[in-house]
Amino acid sequence: MRKQTILSLAFLLLGATSIATAQINRSEQPQSGPVPSIQLEDPQTFTLKNGLTVMLVENHKLPRVSVQLILDNPPVLEGDKAGVSSLFSSMMGNGTTNRSKDTFNEEVDFMGASINFGASSASASGLSKYFDRLVELMADAVKNPLLTQAEFEKEQEKIITGIKSEEKDVKAIARRLESAVAYGTDHPNGEFVTETTVKNNTLADVTSFYQTQFVPNKGYLIVIGDIDVAAAKKTISKQFGDWKKSSATAATWKKPEASGNTAIHFVDMPNAVQSEVTVQNLVDLPMKSPDYLSALLANNILGGSASARLFMNLREDKAFTYGSYSSLGSSKYTPARFRAYASVRNAVTDSAAVELLSEIDRMAQEPVSQDELAMAKAEYVGNFVMALENPATVANYAFRIASEGLPKDFYKTYLSRINSVTPEEVQAAARKYFTADNAQVVVAGKGRDVLPALEKMTFKGQPLTVNYYTPLAEKAEQPNYDAAIPEGLSADQVIADYIEAVGGRALLESVSSLRLLAEGTVQGMTINVEITRTQGQQFKQKMSLMGNVMSEQVFNGESGYVSMQGQKIPMQDKDIVQVRQEAMPFPELGMSGATLEGVEDVNGQKAYKVKLSANKWAYYSVDNGLKLKEVTAVDAGGQTMESAIEFGDYEIFQGILMPFTLKQQVGPQAIDLKIKEVYLNEALTPASFQ
Amino acid sequence: MKQLRILTACALFFGITAAQAQQVSYQEYDLPNGLHVILHQDNGAPVVTTSVMYHVGGKDRTQGRTGFAHFFEHLLFEGTKNIERGTWMKLVSSRGGNNNANTSQDRTYYYEVFPSNQLEFGLWMESERMLHPVIDQVGVDTQNEVVKEEKRLRMDNSPYGQILQVVGENLFKVHPYKDPNIGYMEDLDAATLEEFIAYKEKYYGPNNAVLVVAGDIDIDKTKSMIEQYFGPVPTGQNVVRDFPVEEPITEEVRAKAYDPNIQIPATIVAYRTPGFASREAYVLDMISTYLSDGKTSKLYKKMVDEQKQALQIGAFNLGQEDYGMYLIFGLPVGENTLETLNTEIEEEIAAVRNTLISENDYQKILNKFENNFVNANSNVEGIAGSLATYYMLYGDTSLINKQIDIYRSITREEIQQVAQQYLQPNQRVVIDYLPQSAKQ
Repeated sequence: MRKQTILSLAFLLLGATSIATAQINRSEQPQSGPVPSIQLEDPQTFTLKNGLTVMLVENHKLPRVSVQLILDNPPVLEGDKAGVSSLFSSMMGNGTTNRSKDTFNEEVDFMGASINFGASSASASGLSKYFDRLVELMADAVKNPLLTQAEFEKEQEKIITGIKSEEKDVKAIARRLESAVAYGTDHPNGEFVTETTVKNNTLADVTSFYQTQFVPNKGYLIVIGDIDVAAAKKTISKQFGDWKKSSATAATWKKPEASGNTAIHFVDMPNAVQSEVTVQNLVDLPMKSPDYLSALLANNILGGSASARLFMNLREDKAFTYGSYSSLGSSKYTPARFRAYASVRNAVTDSAAVELLSEIDRMAQEPVSQDELAMAKAEYVGNFVMALENPATVANYAFRIASEGLPKDFYKTYLSRINSVTPEEVQAAARKYFTADNAQVVVAGKGRDVLPALEKMTFKGQPLTVNYYTPLAEKAEQPNYDAAIPEGLSADQVIADYIEAVGGRALLESVSSLRLLAEGTVQGMTINVEITRTQGQQFKQKMSLMGNVMSEQVFNGESGYVSMQGQKIPMQDKDIVQVRQEAMPFPELGMSGATLEGVEDVNGQKAYKVKLSANKWAYYSVDNGLKLKEVTAVDAGGQTMESAIEFGDYEIFQGILMPFTLKQQVGPQAIDLKIKEVYLNEALTPASFQ
Repeated sequence: MKQLRILTACALFFGITAAQAQQVSYQEYDLPNGLHVILHQDNGAPVVTTSVMYHVGGKDRTQGRTGFAHFFEHLLFEGTKNIERGTWMKLVSSRGGNNNANTSQDRTYYYEVFPSNQLEFGLWMESERMLHPVIDQVGVDTQNEVVKEEKRLRMDNSPYGQILQVVGENLFKVHPYKDPNIGYMEDLDAATLEEFIAYKEKYYGPNNAVLVVAGDIDIDKTKSMIEQYFGPVPTGQNVVRDFPVEEPITEEVRAKAYDPNIQIPATIVAYRTPGFASREAYVLDMISTYLSDGKTSKLYKKMVDEQKQALQIGAFNLGQEDYGMYLIFGLPVGENTLETLNTEIEEEIAAVRNTLISENDYQKILNKFENNFVNANSNVEGIAGSLATYYMLYGDTSLINKQIDIYRSITREEIQQVAQQYLQPNQRVVIDYLPQSAKQ
């Protein structure tokens, strides 16, 4: 121990000595060294007869190679078959007409390599010693894909499951509305995939997409790595030279209309706990625009990072959000979008929109400070310099120069052009591309909480028009949350009206038992639910996935259990209170002490909201008295989650009006269940509930 | 969607086994205060990485202070004597660089990547952090909230986000690996300023750290700057590690866990294995590749592609310093219970125990590792991280050039033998990872 102390003392002394001799002053930041010199090489470029432009970058630092195919096609309007490009890309790379799926996969795997596909791209990478084989396999997959009905059905199912899982996803619906509002749904950038449009596709549509769109005419093939240029040229020409050119179809869609005065575009998401707020406008900004770099810097200063204005204002100063940023798109084919955005808590939705607009406007009204501009430039310069470490960078640059029609020295002069941008040029670009006065404020949020303030919101003293949309981006009526409860109406009356509407008290009371068999799909798998309820407050619910029992709840009127994966857990007292509420065939018959809380909108229908118990609400249609929805607050690991069931397709069964679809919603996940069979008044023995 | 996310998470963990084929040149030495320095010169691009790894992680903590190392990492972005609070990130951006840090159970790693004319600036920042960070109540209060948000975002609110925690608590009984690296909420709240200051004194001395400078540098000038900036840092305490030793698992453990963010249950079959520097850990890397890496791997091809029993299947050898966690993760599809998946998984593992893998499969594994090796050190940021890790946690910096040889030296017989030694049914933990809704 003592030895160590002495030793460390000695070190301390040594340390002290070095302070004395050092010429550094820690309180001052070290100066930058001389700016490193940069050399940008040009790739070897040639064009095949079929139109494919090939770029080769020889870099022997590591014995590896990557091959990237980019088809520079204009966006495609998929219309009532939206989803065809997704289907196509997920089916590619699963074998070829020359090699079965297994053979193809085995070969790629054995080399430790990978080959992937997009709707208008493909890539392969691996060790350079396998270059020839890798190119051969990739070219085979490109030219002769194995597109089968089985794979088609599998991918179709996956996409539909994905769409369903996003039905209540606030972010996803916000993004969809933003594109739809900016471009219109009859534009490739504004249209979106629905279950219907996916189902409109057949294998023939995918094959036709391949034949018309996946063509070399305007393609670029970029090869980077440990290659010999001459040999690689030969290999590429051999493998891709016979890829057939096609008569390229001209793109047809109309140019999106410019936005008028700044307006709000709102979609009501009753389950939202945060609002998605985006301020956007279209920009005509191909990369070759003379003020492209000024515009990039303007965006960077406004919202390009966690030290930019939006972040400092909306998060650091106002604490509205975890983060707020902006982005500026660029496209040569269509107008692109400028967006400034944040996810904010409900209460500050309108304030956040005002701050976003104000910050955008300030960019146009005042020049940025020299310091802000210097920092933004430093980021661009740093990223540009550091990107050179990656051999793909020079290829990317060459690709952009060719595909965007840029001057040959665009990147060679990039740094000096970035550095020469003035605050006035940044302001001019902001004025041109960020239009706070003709912007679209797109908000997805809980209307009941956020609309009253949003509808009163003003910008520069002017009120803003509010447009309302459905989650499918169709125009909607202004939601009315204030529909007054009619004078003298009580919860008991609403419940009595419901009982009357579905068949009357006498008839319902005559039902001794009710058993339902329902079926639906979740993540592509069939789910079956069987529910049994009796007058004796017996209850049983069995859930199976693909015929396999996942869970069972059984209650005999006194006690019960929950069974999961073969393990039984007895119901606790609080579970029993809950299950008793559910156990009757028509729980409303025995209901008392309910309160009428208001009138709300349920999928476009006005409904009375009735609180049935401490953690359960039901919504009954104002028009016809039918029950539209039930919401239960569930305690899940200390957090309260809402689980909702919506009732639809009411049909008469043995004199009783019963719902034949149930839509179960837990968090962002929805399961649609169809009632397949209904049994009334069965002779059930107590043994059924043991 | 969910499956993809899990895959990415696991892929991150999996990345640690890789190395490279190209020879990485480096030199290493100690400063008198005990700071180990590793320099790697590559003037191919004007980029430099400055990084410091401290040999302290989640496992270095007292009872009731889980998550301490990670919390402390956040505090070291708050500022130093000469770097004002809240300006760290801006300073890095203003010099055109980027930076970050991360904490594992075993070590904490801080790094910056800059254009190479900012080398001195990077050294100044990291030496400021080592010499006199400002650790005060304001920082503790702020970062407590931030760390809790991070926990909610990455674990509590994330589908399958609690898997590692559940595996840890079932594989370990006494070693601190039993608790999650991010910590428990109550422990995060209970941490005091005095404890953080004591923690710095205990673990953040130069003698418990390695500094790596990699990229476009001049060796002599760099050495002189390092001496100037890091020389004055006083030597810290001697760190003694004395973690309890786990008894072997000799009887299968069954456990259940619930996640409110999932709809599809998962099965996890896990084994406790030797630390990542051991030869057995390399063998287990090869076994996990054999089982689930690529469309033609054994478990994937059988269970996902052909028999369609699993939506997803993966085997992961999660290396750690003292013990590894080898786990197989599967999501059922069709008329399959978790038990079916467990049976199918065990069938393939039994095959590895009972028979030699084929020559072709053996070659395929080596080809994959060779590919990983080549790609691992493709930039100086990655090389800096690998040099620090091999020196500090594997005790041999030269592994950066030699690790592939270890894999190549492993025979098919050895693969079978390690499977027999560590992957027996009575050594496994089987976890039913279920949707929260299944609990009601």
